[in-house]
Amino acid sequence: MTVLTTTSKLNISRFGEDGIRIIFGETIDPEVHEKVRNFYFYMKSLSLPEIIDLTPSFRSCLIHFDTGRTSFVRLSSLLREKEAEALCSGHTPDPVRHDIPVHYGGPDALDMKVVCQQTGLTESDVIAIHSEVIYTVYAVGFIPGFPYMGTLDSRINVPRLETPRTRIVAGSVGIAQGQTGVYPFPSPAGWRIIGRTDVRLFNPEKEPYSLLQIGDKVKFINA
Amino acid sequence: MIEIIHQGIMTCIVDSGRYGYAAVGVPPSAALDSFAYGVLNRLLAQNGHAPALEVIGAQFSLRFHRNIICALTGARVRASLDDKPLNPWTSFSAASGSVLKVHEVTEGFRYYLGFAGSMALERVIGRFATNLECRFGGYQGRALSVGDRINIDGFNDIPWGAIPGSTIPMMKSPHRLRVTAGPEYHYFSEAAQKIFADREGRTVYDVSATINRTGIRLEGQPLTFRNDVDKSIISEGILPGTVQIPGDGLPIIMLYERTIGGYARIARVIRADLDRLAHLKPGDYVLFEIIGIDEAERLWEERQQRLASLTSPVGRLSGISPARVS
Repeated sequence: MTVLTTTSKLNISRFGEDGIRIIFGETIDPEVHEKVRNFYFYMKSLSLPEIIDLTPSFRSCLIHFDTGRTSFVRLSSLLREKEAEALCSGHTPDPVRHDIPVHYGGPDALDMKVVCQQTGLTESDVIAIHSEVIYTVYAVGFIPGFPYMGTLDSRINVPRLETPRTRIVAGSVGIAQGQTGVYPFPSPAGWRIIGRTDVRLFNPEKEPYSLLQIGDKVKFINA
Repeated sequence: MIEIIHQGIMTCIVDSGRYGYAAVGVPPSAALDSFAYGVLNRLLAQNGHAPALEVIGAQFSLRFHRNIICALTGARVRASLDDKPLNPWTSFSAASGSVLKVHEVTEGFRYYLGFAGSMALERVIGRFATNLECRFGGYQGRALSVGDRINIDGFNDIPWGAIPGSTIPMMKSPHRLRVTAGPEYHYFSEAAQKIFADREGRTVYDVSATINRTGIRLEGQPLTFRNDVDKSIISEGILPGTVQIPGDGLPIIMLYERTIGGYARIARVIRADLDRLAHLKPGDYVLFEIIGIDEAERLWEERQQRLASLTSPVGRLSGISPARVS
């Protein structure tokens, strides 16, 4: 077995036979996320045939690898060999800024009243606070095109629903646990819904499919 | 052309899975039993990515509007072609006008039907698999229903094949699922870890009624988290077979429809046992057994060798003569 050097900066761990987690920190933190981004875009630029998929998120990047082409040990040592480049921003694109109009309140904002009750704020306060911040897209996933964005102003920080809804409408804008997101498709949802957007976040017919990529900046506009 | 007369409980188009776009949340939506799907493709001399029908439930029925060679694998079914019984895990020839009927599913849950020709379907994000939730891929992004017709172009006149009955995998309850420890395995006390997957003292879980292509919810003894950890994690990437423990302590086994999860990942089902997940149905029993990663790798190698030896080369698969129907 290859001896892995102790001077390495990469925190590599294993997730089943064909998964590798590269962990860059323990918290939701813009600096940690920038490392995730640099690593992700560098790995993507290599287009390695032995890598099936990359899932970057808040504090880690998950690598799904092809065990027919490489092994955990071989891929780990390759990553350590290339870690200096992998931690640089040379392949990382500039974030794109998106302004997304939102219809706050109304019949689709299923939780606006509860959010007002829980926070002691008026609806217009919640809207002003939510649409004031320029959010960073920390991850895209769970379903296609769903952006996990932060950081939510602590004044409107609410917990997830105890029991997720089985289905909400496409475009629903939700908040929970210090984050905000938009559901691109009718889907199950555990976040508190405060509005809806008409902007299409995912189009399977056209590359790059997702309007938002990790690192992008989003500002909601009260429509 | 083929025409759906009855879709069973649910029929959808699957393939080997849509990979490469997990960074924007695109899940694989792959055939859940990749072994059965792999054998199907080899029986039909198809490449490893051809579209096929994944079916749940009896009463499925389909009419052929052309002569075509087909194959049926996956769950064991009692099926007939114009009232002539079909053998499990074989290819067969169907004449134009003939009707395939599945009368009963005798073991397992999902079965696969494929054709030795090209189904006239569009690739979406590179693949044919149906993303049912987001309504793209497959047949108009949805499950098939009565009256749906799909053209099949080309006709590959391939030799018939079958695999020996003794090598068809076991698909019946209780399902013993081997797992490796997940990133949050240590979120659970030793007692909870024992309840989950120890060889002695572990829980027998029931498969709940809440199952779909996204995940399988289990019922049984809830697992308690250690006091010093959060019940939810900072959302992170998951892979097929990830066993998540939400706040209520009852496991959810994730399949091929999610790229990110926010619950503690206590374990992951080993790859050699992933296909078994296609056959978990409400009321079945599940037992987890934790094993080391080296053993999991060895079991996967064995599974790959089994697939290669069973299905290569097409036409000389076994001494068993398949149901020849013309």
